Amino acid sequence: MATSNPSRETILARIRDGLRTPAPPIEDKTFYGPIFEAVENPLERFQQECKANLMECQLTADSVASAQALAGVLQSLPLGEVFVQDDPVLRRLMSAVGSQRQIRWSSEGGPREQSQATITLADALIAQTGSIFVSASGGGRGASVVAPTHIVYAFAKQLVPDLVTALRNATADGRLDKNSYACVISGSSRTADIEKILVQGAHGPMRLVVIVETGT
Amino acid sequence: MSTTVPTPNTTPAGETPSALTAAQKFLRDAATKSADLVHREIIRKNMDSYDAAHNRGRARIKDWEAARRKCQEIKREAINNLDKYLLQFEQKVLARGGHVFWAATGDEACAYIKDLAVSRGVKTVVKSKSMVTEEMHLAPVLEAAGMRVWETDLGEFIVQLRNEAPYHIVTPAMHLDRNQIRDLFREKLGEDIPDADPQKLVALARRKLREAFFAAEMGISGANFLVADAGAVAISTNEGNGRLSTSLPRIHVAVTGIEKVIPRLEDLGTLWPVLATSGTGQPITTYSTLVGGPKRADEADGPEEFHVVLLDNGRSGLLANAEEREVLHCIRCGACLNICPVYRNIGGHTYNTTYPGPIGSVLTPHLRGSEFQHLSYASSLCGACTSVCPVNINLHHHLLHNRRDFTKAGGAKTSGERRQFKLWRTAMLHPRLYELGGWMMRRSLRLLYGMGLAGTALDPMRDWSRKRTPVPLPSQSFRARWRKELSKNDQGRTAGGNK
Amino acid sequence: MARKISLFIPCFVDQLQPQVAVDTVKVLRRIGCEVDFPADQTCCGQPAFNTGFWDEARPCAERFLRVFKDAEVIVCPSGSCTTMVRVFYPELIASGPAHDEAVALGKRTFELSEFLVKVMGLTDVGAAFPHTVTYHASCHGLRELKLRNEPLQLLRGVKGLKLVDMLRSEECCGFGGTFATKFESISVAMGESKCDSVAVTGAEYVTAIDPSCLMHVQGILGRRKDRARAIHLASILASEA
Repeated sequence: MATSNPSRETILARIRDGLRTPAPPIEDKTFYGPIFEAVENPLERFQQECKANLMECQLTADSVASAQALAGVLQSLPLGEVFVQDDPVLRRLMSAVGSQRQIRWSSEGGPREQSQATITLADALIAQTGSIFVSASGGGRGASVVAPTHIVYAFAKQLVPDLVTALRNATADGRLDKNSYACVISGSSRTADIEKILVQGAHGPMRLVVIVETGT
Repeated sequence: MSTTVPTPNTTPAGETPSALTAAQKFLRDAATKSADLVHREIIRKNMDSYDAAHNRGRARIKDWEAARRKCQEIKREAINNLDKYLLQFEQKVLARGGHVFWAATGDEACAYIKDLAVSRGVKTVVKSKSMVTEEMHLAPVLEAAGMRVWETDLGEFIVQLRNEAPYHIVTPAMHLDRNQIRDLFREKLGEDIPDADPQKLVALARRKLREAFFAAEMGISGANFLVADAGAVAISTNEGNGRLSTSLPRIHVAVTGIEKVIPRLEDLGTLWPVLATSGTGQPITTYSTLVGGPKRADEADGPEEFHVVLLDNGRSGLLANAEEREVLHCIRCGACLNICPVYRNIGGHTYNTTYPGPIGSVLTPHLRGSEFQHLSYASSLCGACTSVCPVNINLHHHLLHNRRDFTKAGGAKTSGERRQFKLWRTAMLHPRLYELGGWMMRRSLRLLYGMGLAGTALDPMRDWSRKRTPVPLPSQSFRARWRKELSKNDQGRTAGGNK
Repeated sequence: MARKISLFIPCFVDQLQPQVAVDTVKVLRRIGCEVDFPADQTCCGQPAFNTGFWDEARPCAERFLRVFKDAEVIVCPSGSCTTMVRVFYPELIASGPAHDEAVALGKRTFELSEFLVKVMGLTDVGAAFPHTVTYHASCHGLRELKLRNEPLQLLRGVKGLKLVDMLRSEECCGFGGTFATKFESISVAMGESKCDSVAVTGAEYVTAIDPSCLMHVQGILGRRKDRARAIHLASILASEA
């Protein structure tokens, strides 16, 4: 595979040349205020947005309740393997759930096609858009998209009010230097390509469940 | 299954396609589509649905004008420092073991990707939506090299099966209804869904494409943004096909125009909601993905190789034109297509370009030459496009500039019209000549129309009178009436009421 | 003291739709203005400008500046021609003292409804028009001059007039100058969509601030033998009991 790329210098030279002429200034001198409404009550807002995104959000008080919630979700799924992010927190959680299901841990590789669900942690929750912020360290890339159901175990203290904050935090802690991939997920997979009718569960999960432990 | 530039209308008997210029073909296709009332109704329904969603989406944003201004500023900063931000982006990607290839032309980009695929033994390719790969005509190149290419975005998958170009940059199969899609799947995929239920049609597409996702050695994606400070490609999707294409195959190639750069990761905090609102009316797309490199050693899965192909293909030329530079700010949301009354009547295929609608009409003459200049004229300059553009591109004014530059460049195409306007100018500079000319025009047309010749080959206004009642032809101009009866101010009337 | 108004009458109004100008004079005089028509005017240059022949349009613009040099206030019953002067003259005459003159002239040139409502502070000009009317928001007036409410306020001030809202009132009618003939099929299709919207309202009249839009819409209404008729805002405002 050739590694030479002579066009690189040509293109850069053309860009530099072209930019020698400054662009005309923006004529509109209006001063603009804030773009988005400030998020007053993040947890409430997060729940509202989850509902609008057709996500399932369950609030739990502690790890016992979280295990129960997770058990409930698993019971509603067809029999089969689940893929779980290999993290001490999730090891404890799965242990508490005591499911009979076959578990494939992320340390073994990515999720298989026969997975009924994937279970991961999140890096953050975003109230403004009802989103979960995940990255490769959360069980890899396929973990949030391969199986028909994706279950996220998160904590209320991970909640940030808006996208800008979440992204600034990601920049500050070098998230994309430590992870080859990250994703802000705001719902289950869907498409409106047929007559603009919304259909859930296109190529990704049909269900996205977020268990938010409020705890102390 | 290749995506080729379409010839959707059949050629009339006896006429070879190459005999028509792009402009003539456009006029012919526009006439056909404009008269197609079924098409008009489908598009109207789609656009009404978009309008409602879009307005709901805008209402979610506290200050929409502030959002547009912010996005304008972000893109302006990026484009006016393009080399700096591209280099910053490249450096970070390379540091993570990714590859960056700069392609001056579409052919160069295709050659790089093909050579890469061949050298890695790629047999199956899954593609998520990328208008740039349409611009480059990538799929035929890979297919000619013996690879199977699957479009995985549902709309793109559908038009690929029909061997058609995408109808719209965001909703590629907007022009089809569920029955047509059901018939298509029955013919090409061998499975029938008698009730054409959209849910079942989607499930069928999912089943078929699943095999491709897991078998493919290479996934090709586009990029909505290139984030310079993070060194990451940002991809906004809803279906999850973009996620699977960039997670399962062992090679990920992201193809993008050089103008997609933005300075900072946090800029996405505004651009993501604005793109989604303008594109579909959503607050944000379901998957807002960031990819910065191949899988790391400690990661559970992911591609072993990551390549970013940066395509110029005329963009640096547009950059050099300071007056037109802001056209490169476009974030490809599709809002201008959706609102354009011309697009609504002639549809996406009539443009016969990768990018249709207002942005396509502004951009294409610059990227592909004066052969497409007719697109700058195929507009009433209503300005609706400019009013919805989320990055405040003054689209309809750029159409005027295109027209000005085209006539300045001269040539046979404009010299006849220039002569007409020189005559017109002479008349306009001499009021008596203007008055005489006007009177003669009215007189002769009244004679002609009196003989029932309106709309016939003898009528100089036949392009008006064929489909409209003829222009009114008063016996007296206003100035004649002014002179005769109106010039004295009649102070007898009382003033009207107040607010 | 009476306002001195210089009339700017678009060339195609002068030649093809003179009644619009006559009615404009009537309305302005009724509210107590002194009206003058500088007979030396011809065309603002828009046709050449829109087609891209800026070198041919520029002398028309420079001439316009001379003809209206001493005008205090200029009123024009057309959104597109007012736009040409206010928005595009400064771009067409890009530099030099004539550029500044063009900017200044633009500031004292008004579309009719703009003048009545924003300059004279009137919404009732003593008109009566007992018919159902629907309003088409002509593109230049709406998007370049930012006139959204003024024509509607005036219509609501007309005695006996019943105003009915049109769906997609802001969608272009399809005239677009030479677009109407160069791209006849598209222009007509857009006009038909507009006439469909008019028909749904059941209104007797469709009105707008641009005579060119109305000429095009009337052309299609007439061809379809639709019930509604197109009428310029000035003609409605000139009507009396």
